[in-house]
Amino acid sequence: MASILSVALTIIVQAAMISALYALIAIGFTLIFGVGGVLNLAHGATITMGAFSAYYAGQFGLGIPGAVLASVTIPALFAGLLYLGMVKRLEEEPIMVMITTLVVSVVIEQAIVVFEGTTSRSLPRLIEGQFHIAGSTFQNLLGVMFVVSWIIIGLLFLFVNYTKTGKGILAVSMSHKGASLVGIKSSRINLITWIIAGAFAGIAGLFLGSWLTADFAMGQAQLVLSFSIVVVGGIGSIRGSVIGAYLIGFLEIATTNLISSSLQGLAPLVVLVVVLLVKPEGLFGREFAE
Amino acid sequence: MVNDGSSSGAGSANGSKEIGDEYNGNSSKLNRRRFIQAAGVGAAATGFAGCLGGGPGSSTEGIPSEVTIGVLAPAPENNPIGAAIANSAELAAKQINNSDKLLSEADNVKVSIKNTQESPSTGRQRYRALTLDEGAHMTTGVFTSEVLLQLMDPIAQQQTVHMTTGAASPKASKQVNENYDKYKYHFRTGPINGYHLGQNMVDFLEAKGSDLGWDSVALLVENYEWTNPVQKAIDDHIGDLDVDVAMERRYASGTQNFGPIYDSVEESGADAAFVAMAHTGTPAVVQWARDQRPFEFGGIHVLTQLPAYYSMTGGACQYTVTQNTATPQSELTDKTLDYAEAYNEANDGYPVYTGYITHDAIMQWANVATERGTVNSDEIVKGLEESSYTGTAGSIDYYGKDHKYAHDIKYNFTTDSPPETGVNPVFQQWQSEDGSGVQEVLHPSYVSSADYQAPPWV
Repeated sequence: MASILSVALTIIVQAAMISALYALIAIGFTLIFGVGGVLNLAHGATITMGAFSAYYAGQFGLGIPGAVLASVTIPALFAGLLYLGMVKRLEEEPIMVMITTLVVSVVIEQAIVVFEGTTSRSLPRLIEGQFHIAGSTFQNLLGVMFVVSWIIIGLLFLFVNYTKTGKGILAVSMSHKGASLVGIKSSRINLITWIIAGAFAGIAGLFLGSWLTADFAMGQAQLVLSFSIVVVGGIGSIRGSVIGAYLIGFLEIATTNLISSSLQGLAPLVVLVVVLLVKPEGLFGREFAE
Repeated sequence: MVNDGSSSGAGSANGSKEIGDEYNGNSSKLNRRRFIQAAGVGAAATGFAGCLGGGPGSSTEGIPSEVTIGVLAPAPENNPIGAAIANSAELAAKQINNSDKLLSEADNVKVSIKNTQESPSTGRQRYRALTLDEGAHMTTGVFTSEVLLQLMDPIAQQQTVHMTTGAASPKASKQVNENYDKYKYHFRTGPINGYHLGQNMVDFLEAKGSDLGWDSVALLVENYEWTNPVQKAIDDHIGDLDVDVAMERRYASGTQNFGPIYDSVEESGADAAFVAMAHTGTPAVVQWARDQRPFEFGGIHVLTQLPAYYSMTGGACQYTVTQNTATPQSELTDKTLDYAEAYNEANDGYPVYTGYITHDAIMQWANVATERGTVNSDEIVKGLEESSYTGTAGSIDYYGKDHKYAHDIKYNFTTDSPPETGVNPVFQQWQSEDGSGVQEVLHPSYVSSADYQAPPWV
């Protein structure tokens, strides 16, 4: 009995931590779709960029603070420039945005292949050590990741609901025309959204790389994961994305712990197919628009 | 460190100023070579050879004025394993061009490098380009077993000698054994085939078990073709030892999170993870070291063989043990260190195992072609079968056509003295010396440089 309890606790703690990372990965993706109405297929590559920014900061001897700073600012800056340089001009053509961001994604990956090769890279460890719950051992890194994720989610909710800019984001997500009529510049709101999404992706890349190592293709799986999470939660819904992330995270950990570790990555795809067939609008629909 | 020109490798190997400057003992040979380049005769001859379609190696008598060596490597621009193949081929060609003895009738030995992208279909396309379009007189390289197995028929059709220098699947040698006349053009210069790789792991455990203290192991193998025979060999032989296999797991090739697998290893109580990893592995090493998992780590881990791996992993590979063909510290023959230093000088870094083997393959082929006075593939096949060439990795001898591993390099496990024939892989451990990593050799004793160190957290 104690053993079952221990296994259950292990699964719950592991899943809570992994899900927190998944939420970080998916929120930026859903934010851009919810506000701008476009799919950013460079989202995975932005995560990769966050990881490699931290890697380079480590290589240049900037330490952990430098790695954290680089992993947030460089992807945020990149996302802002991507919006201003390409996406802004194509906003009315979502398919073109998808193609453009996909091309950008491939360019980033190939650039990493050229400069760093195909071998995985080890990032500076953000925090050493382990903690114990119910006889199981967990990494401090994942614990910190869980806390940081919830702080960021909390701050995002506060920002969106209680600041002028945040309310502008809500307004644009509801109606571009309506927002314009009350004097909100949707292009500025979109730019802010892209920068926030880039920063979130960078933080996700930092934690992901620090935990598992970084390689040029690491963003591909994260893009698929983001798709799955936002479809499950309801495209454009931040709350849905968080819940979707936890649903997929728990399913994945339960699958790998109770059935087979070789089933990693399968849960998001299975859930994606099931939700598309049964409830294609997702758990929460598109809440901004409702 | 890596090859700078993939398919343009010929350009850097066939008469550049650098070669002339560095090796000025063959100036007339080089001048003629430049003339031929300028006149485009080589291109025309290559094109003509391509039109013949029956494989240039099989139809050619004597030594042609321009000898083409086709090289198949995975991402030679940015994969260290592919780069070692490509760079070593260029180094070997350079040395042959500047030798008065090897292929002296040829004005130029050029290397043409193609990227297989580790894809069987791409590998076939690139192989055909090398043999049909460029008229390669021999081909070498190939890291991925899945690619090699898809090349066996094209090799048979082209009747051009191919010397594998990375892929380990014994299915290739089985084909040679079962249908010798068709598949005899394939040789595996290294590494030892997959079954022998597994046997070698068990032999190492038997020889060094008391030093390691690994009474039980958890076998972790990546799910690729090459690990099937490795796993079978371990299953066949480990029962002879007093070592318990606490768990056995083939993990998916895309695995990034080793947490659940390592949890299982811990639960099994194994003393060590006994691994076979080539295409994957860095996340496995980094997560093992950083999480300070309470078991040791060793076996075959190809990336750990990289001389630059310590810095690539931030020291996470310290205490890992891996089998290797050779290291810059292991003087297996009097050619090992000379080659490693020449490679380092040319590429600003040391090679991984595919480099040693590729160099041996091309030099052995050149020796046989020189002895026989021809690049004719049927003659070369006979020559290679009779050849016993001392290369960088040991004595390069092949099993005969009646052996079940026909045309694979011979494997002979010894501890105290080098085998008379065949090769005896080394086992190395990453250890720290003044804050930097060193690939110390644990086995065999005649080249060993240090004793095993267990991770302090175990």
